[in-house]
Amino acid sequence: MSLVEFLILLFQEHAPVMVVVFVLFVSYLLPLIDLWKREWCASIAIAALVITLVFIGFIGHQVFTFGPILYEMGSWAAPWGIQFMVDYLGLFMLITIGVVSLIILVFGAKDLTHELKPRVRGWYYTLYLLLVGSMMGLAITNDLFNMFVFMEICSIAACAIISIKSDRECVEASFKYLILSAIGTGGVLLSIALLYMITGHLNFDYMGAALETAIHLYPNNIVVSLALFSIGFVVKAALFPLHVWLPDAHSSAPSPSSAMLSGLVIKIYAVVYLKLLVRVFPAELFANIPLFDIILILASLSIFFGSVFAMFQDDIKRMLAFSSIAQIGYVFLGIGLLNSSGLTGGLLHIFNHAFMKSMLFLSAGAVIYCTGIRKIKDLKGIGLKMPLVMGMFTIGAMAMVGIPATNGFISKLHLALGTLEAGKPIYLGVILLSSLLNAVYYFPIVINAFFGTHDEDHEDEHHEGGIQCKKLPLQMAVPLAVLGFGCLFFGLYPKYILIIIERAVQLML
Amino acid sequence: MIDIAMRLYENVYFLVAMILFIIGFHTLLTHSNLIKKVIGLNIMDTAIFLFFVSIGFVEGRVAPVIEPGVDQAYINPLPTVLILTGIVVAVSVTAFALSLIVKIYESYGTLDAEEIMRIRSTEQ
Repeated sequence: MSLVEFLILLFQEHAPVMVVVFVLFVSYLLPLIDLWKREWCASIAIAALVITLVFIGFIGHQVFTFGPILYEMGSWAAPWGIQFMVDYLGLFMLITIGVVSLIILVFGAKDLTHELKPRVRGWYYTLYLLLVGSMMGLAITNDLFNMFVFMEICSIAACAIISIKSDRECVEASFKYLILSAIGTGGVLLSIALLYMITGHLNFDYMGAALETAIHLYPNNIVVSLALFSIGFVVKAALFPLHVWLPDAHSSAPSPSSAMLSGLVIKIYAVVYLKLLVRVFPAELFANIPLFDIILILASLSIFFGSVFAMFQDDIKRMLAFSSIAQIGYVFLGIGLLNSSGLTGGLLHIFNHAFMKSMLFLSAGAVIYCTGIRKIKDLKGIGLKMPLVMGMFTIGAMAMVGIPATNGFISKLHLALGTLEAGKPIYLGVILLSSLLNAVYYFPIVINAFFGTHDEDHEDEHHEGGIQCKKLPLQMAVPLAVLGFGCLFFGLYPKYILIIIERAVQLML
Repeated sequence: MIDIAMRLYENVYFLVAMILFIIGFHTLLTHSNLIKKVIGLNIMDTAIFLFFVSIGFVEGRVAPVIEPGVDQAYINPLPTVLILTGIVVAVSVTAFALSLIVKIYESYGTLDAEEIMRIRSTEQ
């Protein structure tokens, strides 16, 4: 077999697993390359993500022509072997993760040169690719234990890209995150044990079928495991009462890590949770347990308190981190509504929020890179010095509030329709209130940045306005512009992403 | 009463696993020493592993190594294999947590979570 034939075979038959394996393989290769040619690491990591995007594009083409792909590892048939399933939901997550993580990495390759010591810079890309690979695995895996392993890789890599900066806040935040997510995965493993005990399967589909009958025999097992799963995923997705790790972790990390963690990592757990609720746990169970109502209440609290806490922050990255708690609330609101509009809105918000929040974190990172300013009150007049960055920040802020023509509007619209469809207009009130609160804490920053003037800077007056500003490198400006363009593009033409989400929702309901 | 005691005795592995889980969780939540938190986490993980492994175990059966000609009943090896992976994961989490604790001790000079909170609140 020639090399070309081998590559074609890889593409045709093993594309779903290649997405994950290729990223993990390159990530483990990078420490070696780091020893040999340190300056190549960034380019190789970027190239790996570009190749992954090609794989994802090919998978997308196959899914749209032949329907969902079921891949069996090592050709072992389903009850015994591990399966990957790329359905529309999995494909949607693959695209989101692939595109956003590539853009963040292009930005990060430049930004990290000033945030990290040269010694650990090569390792950063290892951890980054590990994180991307494990998230892709989580998006498409069809096996509970496989899911657990990917969750652990994901949480260790996520903690490590925080603590790699190794100043004291980062290390402490990372430790808190590690302990809480270890409790979460502990709960998930225990609930896997409880389910395996009564069904004897680990495959999502087989377990779902077995639970249909098992619910009459062992209802207690299923209820306890549902509770443990919920706690595990709520901790990891940082829904309101269990969000305590998020603000420290997301605000102290290097900016590309913050963008990655806020934009993608907390969302993937929401998606896996949704997949479990819909495909594994029997629908009969939810007749007795008002889980979806509980999710709705937690989501509303998360939306409300996330926004309220965000108002009182004086550090810009900390404010963005609290805003993430509010925004993950929208995703869970969509899950809790569980009707077609609500779920469409929730899933769409995953994609949209990945764009806008990573853009906001990256523009905060660009401000820190150029001026070293982190405090919101010091940002006065910076819009005129850095028009591109603050322009993008403005687009992001408008998308967060949900101004029409930005992508945030589309997902909030679908969520609002979903609340009406479900006959729960009180949650419409929550969405409106939260948009108002978003406006209250985002717009003052924008207004100050463009129209604010320095009044207390008597000593710094010889510094021309008080702010000294480096020039923004092109490698950081382009990703910001791409993300900003994405926010507007998917606000004006949401159909290009809705086409996948609508099919995913159809398959689930 | 005797009935309940007999049933607990039959499921003694599950009982012990649950007691260990609660001990571990309690240690993790109530102790402010970071090392003790990690120990608590490990006890909790061990409890889960015991629970998972005991699912597959049946009294009087052997591990599924087939000897030709010998008629034996076998246990389910899958939980054991899965927990082997689980142990590896738990070890790596522990190692990572301990290395973070070393860094925390270097920069704060204490291992007490409340002390660290106090130091951080006075800084801001």
